[in-house]
Amino acid sequence: MTDRPFLRTFVSPAALCALAFVAALAAVMQYSVRAYVPGSLEPGGLTLANFAALLKPLYGRVFLDTVWICFLTAFWTLIVGYPLAYALVHARNVALKSAILVISVTPLFLGEVVRTYSWIVVLGNNGFVNSMLLKAGVIAQPMQLMFTRFGVVIALVHVTLPVMVIMLAAALAHIDPDYERAAESLGAGPIRAFLTVTLPLSLPGIIAGVTTSFAWTFSAFATPQLIGGGQVNMVSNLVYQLGFASFNFPFAASLSVAGLVLTFAVLALLRAAARPLERIGPN
Amino acid sequence: MNDVSKRFGETVAVAAASLLVRRGELVTLLGPSGCGKTTLLNLVAGFLAPDTGTIALDGEDVTPLPTYRRGIGMMFQNYALFPHMNVAANIGYGLKMRGTPKPEIRRRVAEALDLVKLAGLQERKPRQLSGGQQQRVALARALVIRPKVLLLDEPFSALDRNLRASMQVEVREIQRKLGVTTIFVTHDQSEALSLSDRIAVLSEGRIRQLGTPDEVYCRPVDRFVASFIGDGNILRGRIDRIGGATATVALGHARLSVPRGPLAGAEAGEAVDLFLRPENLRVADNTAAGAVQGSVATQIYQGDHVDLYVDVPEAQTGRVLLRLPGSDPMARCPAGTRLGIAVAAAEAVAFPAAMDAGRAPLRP
Amino acid sequence: MPKSLSQRLLLLAANLVVLAIVGFLVLPAFVVALAAFNGRAILSFPPDTWSWRWFAKAIAYEDFRAGFHNGLIVTGWASTIALMVGAAFAFALDRYQFRFKRTLEAVLLSPLIVPHFTVGLGFLIVAAQLGFARGFAVVVACHVVLVLPFVLRSVYISLRNIDPRLELAAASLGAPPHRVLATITLPLLLPGLVSGWLFAAILSFNEFTASLFVTAQRTQTLPVAMYNYVREYADPSMAAVSVIYIVVTAVLLTFANAFLGLGKVLNVEHAR
Repeated sequence: MTDRPFLRTFVSPAALCALAFVAALAAVMQYSVRAYVPGSLEPGGLTLANFAALLKPLYGRVFLDTVWICFLTAFWTLIVGYPLAYALVHARNVALKSAILVISVTPLFLGEVVRTYSWIVVLGNNGFVNSMLLKAGVIAQPMQLMFTRFGVVIALVHVTLPVMVIMLAAALAHIDPDYERAAESLGAGPIRAFLTVTLPLSLPGIIAGVTTSFAWTFSAFATPQLIGGGQVNMVSNLVYQLGFASFNFPFAASLSVAGLVLTFAVLALLRAAARPLERIGPN
Repeated sequence: MNDVSKRFGETVAVAAASLLVRRGELVTLLGPSGCGKTTLLNLVAGFLAPDTGTIALDGEDVTPLPTYRRGIGMMFQNYALFPHMNVAANIGYGLKMRGTPKPEIRRRVAEALDLVKLAGLQERKPRQLSGGQQQRVALARALVIRPKVLLLDEPFSALDRNLRASMQVEVREIQRKLGVTTIFVTHDQSEALSLSDRIAVLSEGRIRQLGTPDEVYCRPVDRFVASFIGDGNILRGRIDRIGGATATVALGHARLSVPRGPLAGAEAGEAVDLFLRPENLRVADNTAAGAVQGSVATQIYQGDHVDLYVDVPEAQTGRVLLRLPGSDPMARCPAGTRLGIAVAAAEAVAFPAAMDAGRAPLRP
Repeated sequence: MPKSLSQRLLLLAANLVVLAIVGFLVLPAFVVALAAFNGRAILSFPPDTWSWRWFAKAIAYEDFRAGFHNGLIVTGWASTIALMVGAAFAFALDRYQFRFKRTLEAVLLSPLIVPHFTVGLGFLIVAAQLGFARGFAVVVACHVVLVLPFVLRSVYISLRNIDPRLELAAASLGAPPHRVLATITLPLLLPGLVSGWLFAAILSFNEFTASLFVTAQRTQTLPVAMYNYVREYADPSMAAVSVIYIVVTAVLLTFANAFLGLGKVLNVEHAR
């Protein structure tokens, strides 16, 4: 049908929301090029001083740290998430399928604070892991898991897992099971059938999952804030510190802008690197 | 329809189609996939707007009208029953849209269910019905609103063979009983032959022939129609004599009368391609008496008859198909047997000789 | 078909791996539950005594109560607005062609990759510049923008799953476009709409990072209140709140799965 009866009514509210979002981003970009006036919430005149300040090695390190943590998280989330996604899609028992789905997805909806706090209870010196290991006699002193990058990554993997599982499961669900059966009928054992047929065909899902995990992790705040406790700083924590501890909104804004640019750059890089891989996939 | 055409980008789906369907008539749009038959149906329904031409229902030009104002009834290939409504609500939907009062809706829905032999199933949901039942509900839904024209889009293609045959008979009876003008789309030529008052054979967006099933089957106007409908054999013959409306073609020592039309400006002595249906051929009493000779290649048992494939050099595909009753002794002769083939009819159809010999061979 | 020994071992290994992963997923919830019922204020595993006192304290705690109340207000408004805006736009996306369609779609989906702290900071700055007090309006606006992508995706997928011929059939029976919408499209879309709303609500209620930036003391949502609590106190009240959270969310999601088919909406069901 070529007529569009409700076009304006349906699109204007959405356009308004888009406008609000763009305005928010524009505000951040605007502040990033304004000077910081100490003691005042109002910014000064136009300047590039904020970006210049970013070039200090301190901040460069935070950026590199953040990227590294994001990669680690994305990688481990993929390793841990793939078997779960596979099980979710191929489980025959409906109750089991539902259980796996709800368990996988629940962390996503719990919110950062609850999840992060739970990990504090698990990782702390008085926490679950240490108490169990001490009681079992495996260690003599509590292991330092809190305030370490290791602890932060574990918690971040837990946080990102639902997203990865959903994306992988969506990709796996759309692979015709007949492909694996065809491979097995031609003599490939289940492991080889998986490696040579299912895995390549799920590549688009893997790429989508890794890309989304990366962006998701970059956005994480509560987890590095509470588990990192100042020892492990990601860009998000720095933005908060500068914004609310020192009220240096301009600098916080420039950090955000740099972070955005970085995220888009890494995502574009991931996409470009994935392009030759995509040709292995079904399309 | 008058001079209707429709293109999608570069592709011409329908080119200058004109068609008059009389009141109460069932016309089938028949053709292979991509021939434009579904596009034509969608144009009548109003789902598509034609690029040129007009469409009129009962004398009224409906081309500018949207679908919901045309007063059509449509039955879709996958039935498209509303899953969230029960049978009664489905059938009554069109009446509800027309503002019919509730008691009358109830009455007419019950009538419609009786018509399609599903009385009493008002409360069921579509997913609780079998495929055949769903189809009847879809039919009832389209008919209860007393449409100006009933449009059927390959409605039986999802049914198995026996169900399909019985549904065809039922739909035809209902259509005749109600006298509703109907346009039926299918790619199945035997379905078209059995159901239609007239058939429009389409290919590449054009109507090649419009005629009764008999006309289309016995007197196809061109090669496409001839080969699309039923099975046929093509044998090279020679024009013996040109008359007024007919011509005589020689095949071996047989003389056949063919309509002059398809031959256009051909002259006596020219080679032509004779089109002969398998049932018009029989095995000659002795080999020499046949119009052509050949040797048996394969027999395919079909229950009520046997398809006999005979290698004949003069045939365009190298092979001729005969149909013999299962009881005929010749139906069991071994491969390689030489025999003569006689033409059991005085009439045939001929087309100008094709330059190339490349054509899809008869199966197998 | 009888399985060979190697096949059975493989299956066993695979099941163990999945079990371990599920264990990993469930571990924090399990541990937090243990902590919440601990009779003492100091964490210990396993607890010596069991008690409900932290639950009582958490429910009575004023900041948590206020946070819960504020959260309900923000979430109620944000998810309902997001549903209406998102459903309408998803419909336009599926059915219509218009200028800037793809751009608009990209912009509306981009909160998925823009960090929440950036969005929060941006809304904070805009509110300050426009002179808005840090009231509920800003928080709701921020939340709408953040949950819109999920609503959009959910409704769009549901729309695509509707057989287009149903709407053609309705039109052929005489229904004009607005009646097709009301009697056919919307009823069939209902599961997608409800699950979209549910997801938006859960995400908005639990949203933390952006809320940290845009809420003030009096509009503080529950996650922000919890964050502030954890920074100062170490007693298991937080654990109690967390357990309540986990139970409620899991129940809601199980409910959503049973009635609406989470799998279909998240697009993880088999295509056949």
